[in-house]
Amino acid sequence: MNIVVCIKQVPDTPNIRIDRERMTIIRDGVESIINPLDHIALEAALDLKQKEGGKISVLTMGPSQSEEALREAIAAGADEAILLTDPGFAGADTLATSKVIASAISRMDPFPDLILCGKQTIDSDTGHVGPQLAEELNLPQVCGVTEIHVEMNALVVKQLSDGFQNTYRVSFPALLTVSQGLNVPRHIPLGDLEKAFSEGGVLRWGLKDLNLRAEEVGFSGSATTVVRLYRPPQKRKGEIVSGSSQTLAEHLIGKLVSLSILDEDEAE
Amino acid sequence: MVLDPKMKQAVIRRTVRKFAEDKLVPAAAEMDEKAEFPARLAEEMAALQYFGLEIPAAYAGAGLDSVSYAIVIEEISKASGAMGLCISVHNSVSAFPVYEFGKESQRQAFLIPMAKGEKIGTFCLTEPNAGSDASSIETTAVRDGDGYILNGSKIFVTNGGVSGLNLIFAITNPSEKGREYSVFVVESEREGLEKGAQEDLMGMRGNPVCPIVLNDCRVPRGNLLGDEGQGMRIALATLEGGRIGIGSQALGIAQACLEASVKYAQERYQFGKRIADFGAIQGFLADMATRIEAARLLIFRASSLRDRKMPHSRESAMAKLFASETAVDAARIGLQIHGGYGYSKAYPIERYYRDAKVCEIYEGTSEVQRIVIARSLMNK
Repeated sequence: MNIVVCIKQVPDTPNIRIDRERMTIIRDGVESIINPLDHIALEAALDLKQKEGGKISVLTMGPSQSEEALREAIAAGADEAILLTDPGFAGADTLATSKVIASAISRMDPFPDLILCGKQTIDSDTGHVGPQLAEELNLPQVCGVTEIHVEMNALVVKQLSDGFQNTYRVSFPALLTVSQGLNVPRHIPLGDLEKAFSEGGVLRWGLKDLNLRAEEVGFSGSATTVVRLYRPPQKRKGEIVSGSSQTLAEHLIGKLVSLSILDEDEAE
Repeated sequence: MVLDPKMKQAVIRRTVRKFAEDKLVPAAAEMDEKAEFPARLAEEMAALQYFGLEIPAAYAGAGLDSVSYAIVIEEISKASGAMGLCISVHNSVSAFPVYEFGKESQRQAFLIPMAKGEKIGTFCLTEPNAGSDASSIETTAVRDGDGYILNGSKIFVTNGGVSGLNLIFAITNPSEKGREYSVFVVESEREGLEKGAQEDLMGMRGNPVCPIVLNDCRVPRGNLLGDEGQGMRIALATLEGGRIGIGSQALGIAQACLEASVKYAQERYQFGKRIADFGAIQGFLADMATRIEAARLLIFRASSLRDRKMPHSRESAMAKLFASETAVDAARIGLQIHGGYGYSKAYPIERYYRDAKVCEIYEGTSEVQRIVIARSLMNK
């Protein structure tokens, strides 16, 4: 099974700063990580490869420094890495991003059997790219899967939505976006990291390689613009309780029991 | 000179930190309390190549550079000083000399199982009457046919309780003028080698430190590391890298003290505000952070010289000296920030306080490091 895993390098959340003029997240000098759900997608691919064989390609669109994320994915076990990078890609919204990624995947020979993405990223949180990519490529899609099985030339996947668990049978080729809880990504052996960073292996594709026109991608290819970016004021619904330590402790325990965090026996 | 860690080193730091937070942080307090080495965890670490950090891939190692090595030790030690100690000693003063001075047959026989973590290594120089004055060791190795017979006592052997291979320093030429030492790789199961009970130490309690006694222990000639009489050279070359390991370990403990203190200072309210809002506490934190950053740069400096195969004896002594004193200081101030709670076992800072102290003592006391540094100034 040939699998493409789409990953994004995102700022490590506690460090996010905002450029108020350009309405973007400041990425310079900020430690970046592979988006945690993309990590889960990669782990799912490694798991499927172990069972079904095949090849894993990881793909990201971003500036040069995104190579770090791709090499980390190679260390984790991906076979091939492609960096979609071009000054023309800058300022892309999710639609323009999906367009570039779709164009890259269409170029792959053979066309992959499965495309895996994280359900959303921790930086922009839209959850658009996976579904848009499936639409661009005209593929069946299931978003937010929590279980993946291969049965008789099809995928059987589970998804939680609105408190219900849905099970789908999906034909190949397909696109899945994955949710928290699908797996726990493995720890990477240090020698594999060393190797992934000392050897070649990251392909770079730009605008020309993808046969795209400048007006289709980046800022000019975007259908949306960010009008305002701000931190919403935090609304805390606090409850102020006063009294002796004894009363306060009893009140608190009562709350914890009512929220099922403590059971009555423990509370005793 | 590496000031900003490269892409690879940033990923290595993050990878190790993730492992340490997942596996070591939850285990560290119990390791200390029960004075127990977590064999299972060590196996997991072996599979991730923590026991062959700088050893080339051809000998089953991870093939890391020295700067990356220092980063790994720092991150492991930040979670557990005792595990950091195990990894540091095994890699830098046990596996490294076997790689550097071992013949090909010895690399095959000893180094590969060490790099795979199947055999944990020790470095047995210290004796009851030979600490800082390492040249006064009394253990002897007497030629006997195609082998040697070893007799003597080694003490405070880090990793001793779980070791598979032990580097034993012994006198091979006892004559007053030509006194010479040699190093032997001695398997733990070899007849005549006995391990004593685990030492009841103040800190680093999760590491099975114990004495090793050699009683007519016969080893074949193939277990002599390097050449006969090379012992002092091996010790000095090995300790250069060892100091980077201990420095990194101290740095990890210092960083743990800082992070615990920053967190506590923002949680603890007195006089109606967070203690982090008091100038005195801010001064403590700022000084800790500044010294820690300076220690980290000294360690990077020494290890990047080592990566370029340039002399780094003085730089590694400076790094070890400064980082270990920084750790002791960070633990003392960190505990002060924690106040009474810091003096209780409810917070990890008291463990850091106990773990930090030995960094000023082992693999060359601070006083010995100052001698090394001072001599390097005057020999020019």
